[in-house]
Amino acid sequence: MDTHVAPARSQAAINCRGVTKTYGQGNAAVQALRGVDLEVRMGELLMLVGPSGCGKTTLISVLAGLMQRDAGECSVLDHDYREMAVNETTRFRGQNIGFVFQSFDLIPALTAVENAAAPLLIGGVKRRAAMEQTQAVLQKLGFDDRMMRSLPAELSGGQQQRVAIARAMVHHPKLIVCDEPTSALDSGSGHMVINLMREFALGRDRVLVVVTHDARIFEFADRIAWMEDGRITRIANAPIRAKEPQKNP
Amino acid sequence: MIAIALKMLLGDRTKYAGLLFGITFTSFLVTFAASYFGGMMTRSFALIAENPQADVWVMDPAVVAVDRPINLPTSALNRVRSVEGVRSAVPLALAQADARFPNGRFQSFQVIGVDDATLTGVPLMNVGSTAAVLRSPDAVIVDEGGTSGKLETPSSKTDQWPRGKPHLDVPTRPLIAGDELLINDTRVQVAGQSAALPRFPPRPLLFTTYSTAERILLPERRRLTFVLATAAPGVDARTLATRIEAATDLRARAADDFKEDTVRWMLANSEDVGDAVTMLSIAMLVGFGVTGVMMFLFTNENLKYYAVLNAMGATTRLLLTMICAQAGLCAVIGTGLGLGLCALAGRVFEAHDFPFRMMWFAPAVGGTAVVLVSVGAALFSTRPIRKMQPASFLAGR
Repeated sequence: MDTHVAPARSQAAINCRGVTKTYGQGNAAVQALRGVDLEVRMGELLMLVGPSGCGKTTLISVLAGLMQRDAGECSVLDHDYREMAVNETTRFRGQNIGFVFQSFDLIPALTAVENAAAPLLIGGVKRRAAMEQTQAVLQKLGFDDRMMRSLPAELSGGQQQRVAIARAMVHHPKLIVCDEPTSALDSGSGHMVINLMREFALGRDRVLVVVTHDARIFEFADRIAWMEDGRITRIANAPIRAKEPQKNP
Repeated sequence: MIAIALKMLLGDRTKYAGLLFGITFTSFLVTFAASYFGGMMTRSFALIAENPQADVWVMDPAVVAVDRPINLPTSALNRVRSVEGVRSAVPLALAQADARFPNGRFQSFQVIGVDDATLTGVPLMNVGSTAAVLRSPDAVIVDEGGTSGKLETPSSKTDQWPRGKPHLDVPTRPLIAGDELLINDTRVQVAGQSAALPRFPPRPLLFTTYSTAERILLPERRRLTFVLATAAPGVDARTLATRIEAATDLRARAADDFKEDTVRWMLANSEDVGDAVTMLSIAMLVGFGVTGVMMFLFTNENLKYYAVLNAMGATTRLLLTMICAQAGLCAVIGTGLGLGLCALAGRVFEAHDFPFRMMWFAPAVGGTAVVLVSVGAALFSTRPIRKMQPASFLAGR
């Protein structure tokens, strides 16, 4: 099954209603999502903010097809993961979704360029072409040849973060989900990276969902959704100051 | 992705070395055990192998292996000679006898009595000697037959043929031409040493003529053990064997078939087969233990990265392929190292007269063991992959 999604600007890329998710059973059950309603449009950069344990990561896991919801409706790029087989979902992720993980999760034995090229290689792109494509993306993120050939252990935290971001973008996914993408970057690098990601998301008719605590980058969001106790309590247009949230218009 | 899988493996040098060790160990030990076993089996039919001129071996119908002789009536020789297609037939006698050495020590020998006229059955002789030395009266040729230190005689004349107690703990030297032994109170003279193929089980050999054998061995109604027949030109050995069986009611086997019979009998009856199988099993078990645990640890430690790859679109099948590629690389390199080590060890063992012979099946057995161990280890280590939840890694858990 071809799981590539054709771009359709201004339509809802993500449309979730009443999504719930509970971990564990009985007395140990933890309700991570308690009926989340969320709509994200194509070309939009949505930031998810909220205290630790409020369900942000669970929500993006559900949106990215890494985890099945318990109940509710959720369409991502016009696909409902519940109607897809496991391998179909995996292939859909490979073609349409990019990830920036909280702890980078770069493979230690691979160079920066090989790490960032992984989605292309998984997608079947020839190694040489994949490397060329990836080098172009890394150059935009400020990498020189030596840095590209470096192992993750030889890179600073910020550089590793940028490799992770390049890895999320390199195969031009329709949806990028990021968990604290700028947490290890200084202010300047953070702005540069989120700018690039924003340019990528908006310029290519894509969607970017970012979980962050970094108030310095709130100004780059189109909208900000506040989560609390497994629910989205408020969605506001940006620019906005995190500590002085305005009422959702 | 295969290249990435291999880089991941090579990047973790400790685990990689552990995996290689496990596979190399398996490959080496299994191939070595198989080669050792091959050597033992080859030695079990050494008497047949060192008589290549005998196309057909004729024996009592109850004989199943070369070392399980039952003697024939003397008339069997002429009956075989009368069969059409037999160019020549010579007698061969096999028996056990205890020889007394000059210092009074007893040593058990396999006595091989060869045809007086042709001396067919005498193996290669050591440099400077020929089989013709057996034509002297009471002459015998001795051979270590895979043993060592059993053909020693006292160095000093004063310790030879002593009166009273035997002189056992005295300086010795190897037997040489001119030394004498007593077999059943009959004096024989060592005429030389041969370079016969080592036997399995190892035992000293004593070659002499058929007539001398009849004289020095204890009297038996039947002394003839085998008739060695040579086929006339154009006559196939198996065909001749069939003809001899039909004409004489004796058992006749082409030399190659008789070797197979002997190996089959050894496989079915020798306790050493059980030892070899035990050694193979232990080798595979240890190899699997080391390889399986290392592979499992490697996969488990890299589970986070496999989960990341899975999140990025790598299907479980692709991830399993990557693990199989890693196991495959270790299997190929480990097999090569194991075989190389085995060949080197074999050279050392052969130099010390151990029954090591790397026949075609030894690397095949080693390779099969490595495949089993690698596949087992790979399957064992895929368990975490099949059970992993990529979402848990998104949260950094």
